[in-house]
Amino acid sequence: MGSAHGPISVGSAGTQSRGEVWTRPVLVDGDQSLGAVTRRVCDVVEAPKPPRAWYIAITISASLTLMLFGMVVYLIATGVGVWGNTNPVFWGWDIVNFVFWVGIAHAGTLISAILFLLRQKWRTSVNRAAEAMTLFAVCCAGMYPAIHVGRIWVAYWLFPLPNQMQMWPNFRSPLLWDVFAVSTYATVSLLFWYMGLVPDLATLRDRAVTPLRRRLYGFFALGWRGSARHWQRFERAYLILAALATPLVLSVHSVVSFDFAVSQVPGWHTTIFPPYFVAGAIFSGFAMVVTIMVPARELFGLRDLVTMKHLENMNKVILATGSMVGLAYATEFFIAWYGGNAFERFTFLNRALGPYAWAYWIMIFCNVVAPQFFWSKSIRTNPWLMVGVCILVNVGMWFERFVIVVTSLSRDYLPSAWGYFKPTPIDICTFIGTLGLFFTLFLLFCRYLPMVAIAEVKTVLPDAHAHDEHGHAGGAAHGRSPEVQHV
Amino acid sequence: MSEPIPTTDERGELHGFVAEFDDVTSVTRAARAVRDAGYQKFDVYSPFPIHGIERAMGLRSTHLPWIVLVCGVSGLGLALLLQYWTNAVDYPFKISGKPLFGIPANIPITFEVTVLLSAFAAFFGMFVLNKLPEHHHALFEHPRFRRATDDGFFLAIEAGDTRFDSKRTRELLQSLTQHPVVACHAARGGDHAPSWIRVGGIAVALIALLPLAAAVAARTGDTTKPAFHIVNDMDSQARFRAQVANPVFADGRAMRPDPAGTVAFDGLIEDPVVLTGKRGDAWTTTMPVAVDARVLARGRERFGIYCAPCHGGAGYGDGLVANRAKDLQEPNWVPPASLHDTLVRGRALGQLFDTVRNGVRTMPAYGRQMSVEDSWAVVAYVRALQRSQNGTPADVPEAKQAELGAR
Amino acid sequence: MTSTSTALETLGPRGARWSQLALGVGVLGAALAAFLGSQFHDGFARFQHAWLLACVFWLTLSLGALFFVVLQHLVRAGWSVVVRRVAELVAANVVVAAVLIAPLVVWAAMGHGSLWSWADPESLRASPLLQGKAAWLDGRFFAIRCVVYFGIWIGLSRWLLRHSVEQDSAPDAKPTLALELRAAPAMVVYALSVNFAAFDLLMSLSPTWYSTIFGVYVFAGSVMSFFAAAVLIVSFLQGRGLLARAVTVEHYHDLGKFLFAFVFFWGYIAFSQFMLIWYADLPEETEWFHVRLAGSWKLVSAVLLFGHFILPFAGLLSRHVKRRVGFLSLWAVWLLVMHAVDLAWIVLPPASHGHGAESHAGGAIGLVDVACLVAVGGVWTFALVRSAANRSLVPVGDPRLPESLAFENL
Repeated sequence: MGSAHGPISVGSAGTQSRGEVWTRPVLVDGDQSLGAVTRRVCDVVEAPKPPRAWYIAITISASLTLMLFGMVVYLIATGVGVWGNTNPVFWGWDIVNFVFWVGIAHAGTLISAILFLLRQKWRTSVNRAAEAMTLFAVCCAGMYPAIHVGRIWVAYWLFPLPNQMQMWPNFRSPLLWDVFAVSTYATVSLLFWYMGLVPDLATLRDRAVTPLRRRLYGFFALGWRGSARHWQRFERAYLILAALATPLVLSVHSVVSFDFAVSQVPGWHTTIFPPYFVAGAIFSGFAMVVTIMVPARELFGLRDLVTMKHLENMNKVILATGSMVGLAYATEFFIAWYGGNAFERFTFLNRALGPYAWAYWIMIFCNVVAPQFFWSKSIRTNPWLMVGVCILVNVGMWFERFVIVVTSLSRDYLPSAWGYFKPTPIDICTFIGTLGLFFTLFLLFCRYLPMVAIAEVKTVLPDAHAHDEHGHAGGAAHGRSPEVQHV
Repeated sequence: MSEPIPTTDERGELHGFVAEFDDVTSVTRAARAVRDAGYQKFDVYSPFPIHGIERAMGLRSTHLPWIVLVCGVSGLGLALLLQYWTNAVDYPFKISGKPLFGIPANIPITFEVTVLLSAFAAFFGMFVLNKLPEHHHALFEHPRFRRATDDGFFLAIEAGDTRFDSKRTRELLQSLTQHPVVACHAARGGDHAPSWIRVGGIAVALIALLPLAAAVAARTGDTTKPAFHIVNDMDSQARFRAQVANPVFADGRAMRPDPAGTVAFDGLIEDPVVLTGKRGDAWTTTMPVAVDARVLARGRERFGIYCAPCHGGAGYGDGLVANRAKDLQEPNWVPPASLHDTLVRGRALGQLFDTVRNGVRTMPAYGRQMSVEDSWAVVAYVRALQRSQNGTPADVPEAKQAELGAR
Repeated sequence: MTSTSTALETLGPRGARWSQLALGVGVLGAALAAFLGSQFHDGFARFQHAWLLACVFWLTLSLGALFFVVLQHLVRAGWSVVVRRVAELVAANVVVAAVLIAPLVVWAAMGHGSLWSWADPESLRASPLLQGKAAWLDGRFFAIRCVVYFGIWIGLSRWLLRHSVEQDSAPDAKPTLALELRAAPAMVVYALSVNFAAFDLLMSLSPTWYSTIFGVYVFAGSVMSFFAAAVLIVSFLQGRGLLARAVTVEHYHDLGKFLFAFVFFWGYIAFSQFMLIWYADLPEETEWFHVRLAGSWKLVSAVLLFGHFILPFAGLLSRHVKRRVGFLSLWAVWLLVMHAVDLAWIVLPPASHGHGAESHAGGAIGLVDVACLVAVGGVWTFALVRSAANRSLVPVGDPRLPESLAFENL
């Protein structure tokens, strides 16, 4: 306080602060010029041939996708009896996998919307791929409710369409909320993703050397030409979509949790489900982003754009949300005892010690113990170790849904109705098939669309800000910019 | 270089002059200069949004938020209206005891529709306000304009600006950049899509109307033909009719005999008095089955389950259901009879039994829930209950009368 | 230059005046509260509820501030440095709530069930349901837990304040590094303590009732109330020439955004809790809402729905409101009042329904509650001003201060 200079006047010319001043590091490694960013991202799409690993990967995943189509056709032709769902576990792998995929779908919008509102600029390098991943995960998720309704040809009854039966869907049912929530989420995610893609498609259009590419990218670029007036509305629309998507992302998994929590089934009916499901969804979604971004950045040479700093930040989010999930587990367990409800107490003891204890402890290990490795900086900055942990997290989150769905249903109020659920090979092959579909779509995306948001990354480069006499017009005064002056 | 350029020539109408810049600093400075020179119709083109450029250009903020707000509020209202009308008016249907239109259960969908319409407004509103898609534009004629999506910056002053002067405007721009200033022209007829696209678009639009037309025709016309189902579903199921042959079974009959040891419902009781409560044509006034403490206890237990909810534990017609119906003033509610009315007390045992088995007025039949023995047990218990509520001190056994006095 | 700039950012002699004034108001409020409390002739049971309400209200401001400070270090935030000292002081003020709530805890630990009804061994024995959780609802164990909670909060907030003040005059950034390094485990400890403290201090007022989300509910309201308080404190100080050059409209805008976000978050959590219980309709859970949707509490519930969520949500939606300090301050006052109503809605119904007395004079929320809020608030403010007196109100040595000073919203 006794300094010779007014410490508060740091920003004004001529004064200086004592001690250290921290500035934000530039988020991109290597060549930081605008053109270099364009080149690095577009080269992936414009290379005459993708790496050999891409061919191997897409061969495997496309075969699995074919298997998925086979399974779905067989299911529709035969009936849902081909799955393991039966009394008392009427919701089996179909709902487990649905919730699993919807959960994964949450990271994309979280990165593009919530982190945008929180001014986390590191998101620019990963948001495009994460949003794409969101859409593909929603495809996998949305498929399950559609095919598990049984008579799929009347699935349109889910929507409020006037019909000759003069019946309407029951809007008070959480399952219908799900229809609205998931379809809204898919739509808004698609709009958000496509809107961000438009300027980058224009870049690809302008770089295209063949007429086919120019026409195709040009058609979807909608004639974007980078006008400042357009950018102004674009940024405003982006901000609004982010502000809308933020509560939307909360609502979607909350609604999914309502499917369970409005019931009176022990282990399902608990009030913490909405935020706990959302935390779990973000947890699993980030784990999936890391799982696919690490190989992708290696494969396509994007290490300068998707840096270790980005991956480390995502791992920190995984650690944080994993801890929230752990806290929710603890709270649930405590209240099951504290509430004094005999059925609740039994359910939770049964989860930990009953016939599905193996699943429960896999869940605990993968979701609560495994992310704790990320307290160590050396683990969270080692690409292959972090992928290992993230795969464990994905396994754990799958088992979380399995534990919730199956243990509660298999041990209901009536001991005479107790049973044990076993998946059939069709169940297992369908799930593996969705993994194939997911990776097929992602691999196609990597090859044909810009995997990193070119225009957005450019805004965090040093060249994105004016260095002129007025100062205020450019980024020199802008807090998060890498250009904070050492004064 | 600086001779005036005609606004229209063989290259089409003059769109304006375009200056190229290499970095954000110079283009921002140029935008400020052009703004200060009083130009309105000019624009900056950049590969990413430049922070602060709208101030440098003197742009006003966009109306987009208001469009989003209006759409969001309409979404909110529409969703509420849709749920109210479908679930509470057009197709009222009580499910799990929930009100037909209870706000908590209708909030999730209201929220989702609000967000959906707001997002549509933000997305489509942005493109509409930007007049996109516009695949053809004069600036694309500029030989180096493709840099605008890579690492170049451009500033164009349009010929439509009131201050536009082909000489002075060009000089102003040239003073701001070292790149040559270029005049861009809108190509003739460039604002029309090729005719095959227009024809194709109209054709697709017409074909898209066909399903709708078919649906309208089906809804308005009359037909005697059965409904056309793409998937037969459960409309016609393979089955055997009664009394037909079926080669699968050894006896060749489709109808299967009862498995060995099957007992018909109520089959083992042969006494018609026990089964019907009637002796000949008259109600029996004596118990056709033996009554002991065990039977009375059973009757009391069954009474508590099946009768007490309406008739009340003591039989005065004041059970929980009856009281609740009274509290709610249900218009169609017939209050349950008190079992201690003279009328009921005067009923023969057989008639009470018949009432239990088959119901009376709005009271449902319990014959399916209770066995014959249990029904008689309830009758015995009801009679005991009536005695208990209408007794006199004389009814008390002498051995216990002293106790009564002591109270 | 030296003297003026230092004088600008510390309270100086005005602090002494303000603290005396606050203490005076507090003492008057306490006297009034004690008098009003004696008028119920219920062995001060009603007064205890009011006192708990007041303590928890001021406690939640500190808890919200504690969350904010830990969060800023956890995410290495830059924009917030100029308002962080205020938050640090508010957080460290948790000690006031600890002292004032202590008599209630001791009273319960001695086996008196006039506030926490389970504290009375007789009532515990009378209910088979409560016997099942007697191990947790035990007076002495409860007191130990309270000591742990408050110990964590006091220790954590003092540690944050100490390092931050150290940084003011440190030659390097070591204190800030230490804070950022340990912010993550601090957050874990914070989350656990707040979650269970909410169960113990508030949820156990209705000992048979339970809700797993309850801790999150209290947390959401706490953080919201802190942002409201932060807006008010900062604008109050700016009105007196302090922080004038440090805090700009951009910082208000961000505080406003957080305020808005937590209004929404509170609404989300409150809706989740209510809707799930309403929908499942289990008697052991609906009982809690049943009491709050009957009699005069029905009106309070409606006030909360509109006043704590719908109106401020609509009011704070616009960017222009968040950037006008006057409007923002009005909403901040409004939301602080609503936060008090929210806590009253949690704390007070057992006072009228749990102990036989069917209703008490003055309806749901009485004068005694207001008097207690003023009393605790006076002491709280006194302590806050005292602790702020000789400290810079801006973390002048923070290595991210330039970033915060130059901060601009997009």
